[in-house]
Amino acid sequence: MADPAVMAGGFTFRGGKATSSPAENYQLARRRTLQVVVSSLLTECGFESAEKAAVESLTEMIQRYISEVGRCAKAYCEHTARITPTLSDTVVTLIEMGFNVNTLPVYAKRSQRMVITAPPVTNAPVIPKALIAGQKRTHPSHIPSHFPEFPDPHTYIKTPTFREPVSDYQVVREKAASQRRDVERALTRFMAKTGETQSLFKDDITAFPLIAARPSSIPYLSALLPSELELQTLEETDSSEQDDQTDSENTPGNNLNDDPGADKENSMLPPGGVVPSVKASEENMIDNPYLRPVKKPKVRRKK
Amino acid sequence: WDLLGLEIDMNRKKDKGFETPLFLNVLTCYVMFIPHTTHQVVCINNINFQRKSVIGFVELTIFPTVVNLNRIKLNSKQCRIYRVRVNDLEAPFIYNDPTLEVCHHESKQRNLNYFSSAYTAAVSAVDPDAGHGELVIKVPSELWKQGDEMNVLKVYIEFSLDQPKGGLHFVVPDVEGSMAERGAHVFSFGYQNSTRFWFPCVDSYSELCTWKLEFTVDASMVAVSCGDLVETVYTHDMRKKTFHYVLPIPTAASNISLSVGPFEILVEPYMHEVTHFCLPQLLPLLKHSMSYLHEIFEFYEEILTCRYPYSCFKTVFVDEAYVQVSSYASMSIFSTNLLHSAMIIDQTPLTRQCLAQALAQQFFGCFISRMSWADEWVLKGISGYIYGLYLKKTFGVNQYRHWIKEELDKMVEYELKMGGVLLHPTFGGGKDKDNPTPHLHFSIKHPHTLSWKYYKMFQCKAHLVMRLIENRISMEFMLQVFNKLLSLASTASSQKYQSHMWSQMLVSTHSFLKSISNVSGKDIGPLIKQWVDQSAVVKFFGSFAFNRKRNVLELEIRQDYTSSGTQKYVGPIKVTVQELDGSFNHTLQIEENSLKHDIPCHSKSRRNKKKKIPLMNGEEVDMDLSAMDADSPLLWIRIDPDMSILRKVEFEQADFMWQYQLRYERDVVAQEESILALEKFPTPASRLALTDILEQDQCFYKVRQGACFCLAKIANSMMSTWTGPPAMKSLFTRMFCCKSCPNIVKTNTFISFQSYFLQKTMPVAMAQLRDIQNLCPKDVLNFILDLIKYNDNRKNKFSDNYYRAELIDALTNSLTPAISISNEVRTVDNLNGDVRLILEEITRSLNMEKLLPSYRNTITVSCLRAIRMLQKNGHIPSDPSLFKSYAEYGHFVDVRVAALEAVVDYTRGMHRTSPSEVSRTHPIPYVVHKILSMLGKNPPFTKAAESPLCNEALVDQLWKLMNSGTSHDWRLRCDAVNLYYTLFGLTRPSCLPLPELGLVLNLKEKKAVLNPTIKPEQGPDTTEMTVSSVSMSSGVAPPPQGLKRKLDSVVGPLGSSSPEPGQVLQEEDTSKKFKIRVRISSEDEIDMESPHDSQAFIHHHLNILERPSTPGQHPVKHPALIILLSDNLEPPAVDQAVLSLPVTPLPSSFGKESTSSSKHSGDHHHHHHHHEHKKKKKKKHKHKHKHKHESKDKERDSHAFSNSPASGRSARSPSMSD
Repeated sequence: MADPAVMAGGFTFRGGKATSSPAENYQLARRRTLQVVVSSLLTECGFESAEKAAVESLTEMIQRYISEVGRCAKAYCEHTARITPTLSDTVVTLIEMGFNVNTLPVYAKRSQRMVITAPPVTNAPVIPKALIAGQKRTHPSHIPSHFPEFPDPHTYIKTPTFREPVSDYQVVREKAASQRRDVERALTRFMAKTGETQSLFKDDITAFPLIAARPSSIPYLSALLPSELELQTLEETDSSEQDDQTDSENTPGNNLNDDPGADKENSMLPPGGVVPSVKASEENMIDNPYLRPVKKPKVRRKK
Repeated sequence: WDLLGLEIDMNRKKDKGFETPLFLNVLTCYVMFIPHTTHQVVCINNINFQRKSVIGFVELTIFPTVVNLNRIKLNSKQCRIYRVRVNDLEAPFIYNDPTLEVCHHESKQRNLNYFSSAYTAAVSAVDPDAGHGELVIKVPSELWKQGDEMNVLKVYIEFSLDQPKGGLHFVVPDVEGSMAERGAHVFSFGYQNSTRFWFPCVDSYSELCTWKLEFTVDASMVAVSCGDLVETVYTHDMRKKTFHYVLPIPTAASNISLSVGPFEILVEPYMHEVTHFCLPQLLPLLKHSMSYLHEIFEFYEEILTCRYPYSCFKTVFVDEAYVQVSSYASMSIFSTNLLHSAMIIDQTPLTRQCLAQALAQQFFGCFISRMSWADEWVLKGISGYIYGLYLKKTFGVNQYRHWIKEELDKMVEYELKMGGVLLHPTFGGGKDKDNPTPHLHFSIKHPHTLSWKYYKMFQCKAHLVMRLIENRISMEFMLQVFNKLLSLASTASSQKYQSHMWSQMLVSTHSFLKSISNVSGKDIGPLIKQWVDQSAVVKFFGSFAFNRKRNVLELEIRQDYTSSGTQKYVGPIKVTVQELDGSFNHTLQIEENSLKHDIPCHSKSRRNKKKKIPLMNGEEVDMDLSAMDADSPLLWIRIDPDMSILRKVEFEQADFMWQYQLRYERDVVAQEESILALEKFPTPASRLALTDILEQDQCFYKVRQGACFCLAKIANSMMSTWTGPPAMKSLFTRMFCCKSCPNIVKTNTFISFQSYFLQKTMPVAMAQLRDIQNLCPKDVLNFILDLIKYNDNRKNKFSDNYYRAELIDALTNSLTPAISISNEVRTVDNLNGDVRLILEEITRSLNMEKLLPSYRNTITVSCLRAIRMLQKNGHIPSDPSLFKSYAEYGHFVDVRVAALEAVVDYTRGMHRTSPSEVSRTHPIPYVVHKILSMLGKNPPFTKAAESPLCNEALVDQLWKLMNSGTSHDWRLRCDAVNLYYTLFGLTRPSCLPLPELGLVLNLKEKKAVLNPTIKPEQGPDTTEMTVSSVSMSSGVAPPPQGLKRKLDSVVGPLGSSSPEPGQVLQEEDTSKKFKIRVRISSEDEIDMESPHDSQAFIHHHLNILERPSTPGQHPVKHPALIILLSDNLEPPAVDQAVLSLPVTPLPSSFGKESTSSSKHSGDHHHHHHHHEHKKKKKKKHKHKHKHKHESKDKERDSHAFSNSPASGRSARSPSMSD
């Protein structure tokens, strides 16, 4: 019901179908005209009366026929790279549909034909306007002007928006805080919904759900090691310490899983704690009993 | 067999007894012998993590200092000893540990006096310092003659340990993978000399020898122990390796330790002889935490002008540590929770302090050991003192003075509450006659009988006294003395064993004082007498008046030396008076009868002359003098400003004087004192002074933190006249909020630590503000909620976990009791709006912790406290189940302790013990210790108050716990004793039934009569009846409630399922004489059935108590929590009519019953006899005596088995040695 006031005038004489949309009204008017045509043809053939349903069927048939003619004609015309159908398109269509075109002029000039009035003027349905943002491009010189126009630039180039970015400190902080809070709340709610929970209230166990405490087998690890998030922050804020971190990640466990074969390697490796600057010069000087290779047992004893 | 060896090492004995010639005499008469161990080999060749067992042997090289050495006594606990050989000859041995069960026949005696003396006797009986031990080895007669030639004896002992409860602690996480992948590790622990728990030795700090230590462990593990690692060798199958350690420096067995685990190794970059070990994955933290250690080394070596005595040093960080820091020869074991990353602010100083303590103890405590227990204070004092010097250098003078004040206050408070702490106890020749500390409920004769808290305060006092000595003789001399001790020791340590040289490595009070007088030439005798040989502190009250005519300050200093923990002080005292013309020190002499002291003033009062006022430190400042008294030139007065007396001072001066002192005195101690005093002066002037301090960023941050809380208190007192926004709010806004939008806090940077600490504290203090309705003002609450909301740590290189935790604490502080609508059940719907907001924050934070855990789970800890507070204030239903789940094994230890604290608090609040399901709690010694001490601190009831909890079952459990349940850990046993004392006092608990009351009255005789309890047991029939009725008629009947409860608890566990009519016991009260009649219902035949059922009952109890030791049982019951379990045993609602009859049914009924079986008593026949009947019928009747008897038999059997399977002999009496 975009603009009922505009359309109202065209309809009142049709029996106040103000409720229907303009497009519908337009179609109804056409169909009524077709009915008149069918009725006059019937009269011409000598019928005095006809059942409403029969008229209706015939109307349907004729409508279909005309539509089909239109559709085919359009297809033929587009096939030949045109956009407006010509007479020949229609003729070919009629022939294609098995109609003897030569009989048409005679039929049109028959004596007993009835003249019917033109369909009442109704406004053609308004095609909803496409969003136009910006200027459409004109065709470049090598493209003939009858070719379709360029579509709206936003559909294939970009959409310029003109809202000011928020730079007010307070709003930014406010937003960051509430966003974080929302995320946290949603996340914890989700975890609480999907897993085991504990409740503080007996009457309503869904209020303030707490994710159930779950003992871990090595509790000190999660309690002492910085979380990934914190490590990330650290990396962002301090690049010098970042080096340290990655450096240390490579070293742990040097002396851990030393299977018998790997000892010599181990003894060559510098210990984890050597400060980078000192490392190069003193690497070979470190003499710590825990870094020495493990001795092989004396074979004599065995024998 | 002690009748040998008169001149055994008299040198040593002389030193011990130097104060008391009497003692010396006794010693020479009391013949004993102590052969010297010169070298010991410890070889542990199998450590099984799965079974938690250890197999190994030791070999002691003993130098017999006497001819005809025929017995050797060693210390050993828990160890299963397979064989003993002396010089390759099999030697018979006896194993007897009287401390396993302190009181035998414990069913009757339930008072602490008795227990304490029995416990002290038991500990004395195996005291290595006196030449005793649990393990007595008979030297084969073939070797006796060798004594003449003084050949060394080699004692070889094979032993094993199975699931040790003390001495060694196994940590085996329950995850997939090999033991190394799981991070399984084991380490030695203990309080004082506890090495005997994991290998046989002479477990004394004064018995030095050299060591060879060998540990064969899985190839993926590292064994860290004392001394130098000589080599590591694979076993033949290449699956294990053996670590060979040699410790050439004579060391006491008590200073030997071991830890084995898949440790990551870090060599100290600045000192390659120092190696650090931590558990897998923690290496980055270790690196950061240890980056500072070399500076501590340098500091100590510099002040002591002495190199670190050992050739290497190792630090090991382990999980489930017994204490945060424990020092052993050339290594220290730390709690892994001390490790931290570079992002953590708060933990950093704490970890460094722990390192410094450990290192100080390496010099004094490990390298230099003590002659006897009475000399412990010297070692603790020196290590504490040099640690203090380190604090001063690293953290500044302010921190140092603050620390000294804190320690002094703590110690003074303890002494005033509990009675004195005695540093150097001397024991006369008599056994128990002259107890130097009669006010204590434990003996201070042995370290193992001390309460943990007392020991803490002992250490505290020791270093404070060292500081007093420094004040007297100057620091230079002090350090010279230390250097002398160290250089003597290191000379001695390099010597081969000769009878007296090594004793130079032992420090005694005597030798220490001698060094002091040699070095300084000063007599510090009075000081030692006052603070070391004598317990208690001084309590001063000071006030003054200004005499304008004479221009004299009349100071009055009174003392309280009558109340407990106080002593009289005579001697000099320093008083500092700040006048208009400057600050002046006066030394007054406190004498017997002089209270008043006249101090002439230097300046006339003057008001309008504008002149700067000179302060103590030479600074000159402008002051607004309008507040002061126009006639007086006095700005403020301080008594003993240098804390050179162990004292508490209560001084009265006007409020403006305190305000001047706060603003202008530069000493942090003075500032803190004035803050404390200003709480009593809620005036706008005080407010202004405090606000000024808060704003002054040159002021020490701890003073400013203190000012926050004081300001909150003042604001509450001034509520009606307070103007402006809530206290501190505008200040906080100015300091920490954005300039453009004052309601939003700046994003965190924490670059300035001072402001970081202030930022943390202010909200917590603000939350203590209250409005007229006694609620936290809405403004403040919203302000705190906004702080949480806008907290933004993204740009910060430090973690904000402590800050966030404190914001939660602030929310907790803001809570006030809910408006109580009587008996209304707390539901979600009637939740107060503000509380709903708070609860939302708490739940969100707690849930986020599961996803992004904070360092040491600080936020979880705060949230748990907050939830408990919500419960306590009646906002949400009180329910311990949440806390119990957090208290389970598998949570971080801080979280568990916080949760347990809440459970303990709940127990108190509800007057009902919780049906604790924390049973899965794994016995981590530290956690059990914490539970017991928290229960002691916040007891569910005390001896004064009535409580339904106070029942016989509880007494039984607690008694059992301290009598036999905690024999594996000295500290735990003392904790249990403490708790028993808090709950029931020294005498027999009032809730116990009557029978023994007659005995209780004879408190003094008890000590004389060795075993008074045997009597009723031997003659169980009529005598006991009379005893009870006599005592009843004498009118000392306990309150009927006690009886009721007792019955209740006795009947409870059995009768709750079906209270039987047959149990109704009736009593007729005729002129205070009780006649007891047992009405027996038709189906009830008491005689035969009752024992069976009582046996079941005892089974039940034993099950609970013994479960930790049951092999194969994985989830272990926590002995301490059994206490919490007790109300489980209480019937929910047993017929009151049945129970409310005050009766003493048990002994009487027992009397009747046991006549039938008494013929068999004395042997084990009845035991078997009843076994036969056991399955026939189930009856509910309690048979108390029988329980004890049978349970004891059972225990006895099991002990006999576990103690010495090889010897086949088991002696259980502590007096077996005669």
